[in-house]
Amino acid sequence: MIDPKEPRLQPAGTGGVIPEEVAEATHIPHPESLPEYRWVYLWRWPLRVTHWVSAITITVLIVTGFYIGAPYFTTWGEASSHYLMGWARFLHFAAAGLIVAAAILRVYWLFAGNKWARWSSLLPVQARDWRNLWRTVKYYLLVRQESMPHYLGHHPLQQLSYTLIYLIVIVQMVTGFTMYGLSNPGGFFHTATAWVAPLFGGIQTVRFTHHALTWLLITFIPLHVYLAFRADVMDREGEMSSIFSGGRFVRADVKFEDE
Amino acid sequence: MLAPTSHPWTSDQTLAEHLEDRGVSRREFLDLCGKLTAMLGLASVVTPRMARALEQMRRPSVVWIQLQECTGCVESVIRTSEPSIGDLVLDTISLDFNHTLMAAAGHAAEAALHSAMEANAGQYILVVTGSVPLKDDGIYTTIAGRTAKEVLEEAASGAAAVIAVGACAHWGNIQASNPNPTGAVGVSDIIRDKPVVNIAGCPPISDVVTATVVHFLTFGRMPALDIDGRPMFAYGKRIHDQCQRRAHFDAGQFVDGFDDEGARKGWCLYRMGCKGPASFSPCPIFQWNVRTSWPIGAGHPCLGCTERRFWDTMTPFYERLPQVAGFGVERRVDVFGGALAIGVTAGVAAHAAATGIHRARQRKQLPVMQKPPQDAEVNRGQD
Ligand code: HEM
Ligand code: SF4
Repeated sequence: MIDPKEPRLQPAGTGGVIPEEVAEATHIPHPESLPEYRWVYLWRWPLRVTHWVSAITITVLIVTGFYIGAPYFTTWGEASSHYLMGWARFLHFAAAGLIVAAAILRVYWLFAGNKWARWSSLLPVQARDWRNLWRTVKYYLLVRQESMPHYLGHHPLQQLSYTLIYLIVIVQMVTGFTMYGLSNPGGFFHTATAWVAPLFGGIQTVRFTHHALTWLLITFIPLHVYLAFRADVMDREGEMSSIFSGGRFVRADVKFEDE
Repeated sequence: MLAPTSHPWTSDQTLAEHLEDRGVSRREFLDLCGKLTAMLGLASVVTPRMARALEQMRRPSVVWIQLQECTGCVESVIRTSEPSIGDLVLDTISLDFNHTLMAAAGHAAEAALHSAMEANAGQYILVVTGSVPLKDDGIYTTIAGRTAKEVLEEAASGAAAVIAVGACAHWGNIQASNPNPTGAVGVSDIIRDKPVVNIAGCPPISDVVTATVVHFLTFGRMPALDIDGRPMFAYGKRIHDQCQRRAHFDAGQFVDGFDDEGARKGWCLYRMGCKGPASFSPCPIFQWNVRTSWPIGAGHPCLGCTERRFWDTMTPFYERLPQVAGFGVERRVDVFGGALAIGVTAGVAAHAAATGIHRARQRKQLPVMQKPPQDAEVNRGQD
């Protein structure tokens, strides 16, 4: 078994000899030349729980939210025999509660988590990171592949984009609970969010913001999934498996900026 | 004053004596007290207290000034097809001054205003309709040569309570909407040393004015207000949460055009741009014209007229979401957002293809591994 707390060298290799013709056809490097790999444990359970709860609830929030915003199905017959909008709103608010719980866990983990999940990992802080940001951008623009800086946790571009997603979700929560509070004037949510509508210039702008930011979240999904898969396939550094198991196999000979 | 009568409420009469004079039975009077108690959201045990307070009340003085406005609020308050006893109380409460309704004009009217204010200094209720234009020294509304601001400040200085009736007095209304050429503001923007009750709406429901005045007369203070200075008994709930069409909202049954099947069936007006989900008003309950109907009841989406700056924030009236600068006038946020999402997805696909090509090119340049010597130790993994 791999001891997650103690990253160490792991055996690799197929244990046999690959015929030259096969190697040539498939470009599989000879086992002799296979790099050494080690396993590092990055994302502990609070972070993974936050990730998957957010993934599920954001999906539910987007689908139900757009029904609330543009009710594309209409039911027929007696009103008393349907509750379509009612269910959409119920699911929306239930998912809202869950994502707030996930956010609370994440905030706790900002202080209790390891260095790849702490508050200091939210933004590129050091000068080195800003230089690396530029190198990362060049990497993704397919110029200067070799100059890609290696990070165990999030590279600067990821830091910036994930922090932006956090901010968007926070604004969604604030605007969402502001609208939610309207149904119970004087209640907790209404009182706690009394400052929001004046700040946005009216409750309709709050609604508009909630609606418009949803599109940004939708836009994030293909980008995020693609880049994660890409990192997995291209760099073979176990990006995908890390969000399931918490750890990833990385080449032992690579030096990481955030180790 | 509203309906000239042979039995004016004289200042030495109590309300009970006066109503008796006018042939209003005690039963009708108690009935009114019960209704007002319910309207104010108070427990029915308060009814006797209200009846006692109103009965013994001497004729209070109400001064109603009209500033920058269209007179619609006065119309709303007096235009009831069948004057109810509530209206009777309000009009017998006797407007000492209201320039639309009083017979006097010019100097006589001004004299009436000043004598009412002097005689009842510190006691009268001031009702204000209309906004106060401040730009260019307030020249856009002047009455008897004085600006609206001066008139308001003078009238408010001796008032026991100030009630701002209608959206103009509340926050400035259409004249205060972008770009607000006259610099119009509401009463509470000028009068800061006294609590101002805002009876919001364009126009507001007259029952709310009556009930607020009665509350003041019964308890000697104004009813509980929300953060915008509106009485909670009337503006304490969203239209959406009291609406007769709400069952259709929850069911997912929406009107799509003013002549469609849904409109005939009385479905929810959400997709027609109804602002009920953002507006606080007792319209669904109190209704208009002696409870005949109200906008949503008649099939028209709510415009949100009880909310501050509704001309700027609740428009377009027939769309659910506002058009926010930067998203163009016709271009809806969904077109923009959808294009962005599709564009990014296409970009992702293009990037993936480019990566593939790039990779393939790089691979071609890589040297192929040579088979190592036979005796090399290949089972490194076993150590
Ligand atoms: C990532 C998160 C979220 C997304 C993508 C999302 C999406 C949406 C969308 C698209 C709408 C329709 C807006 C419109 O056109 O009027 C909506 C409405 C709404 N959302 Fe969210 N939402 C999110 C989070 C939340 C949260 C945390 C709350 C908190 C309670 C919330 C509460 C509401 C409410 C109250 C409405 C209006 C419902 C109504 O008026 O009946 N949302 N949401
Ligand atoms: S008509 Fe308007 S206020 Fe009534 S349920 Fe529909 S959206 Fe709400």
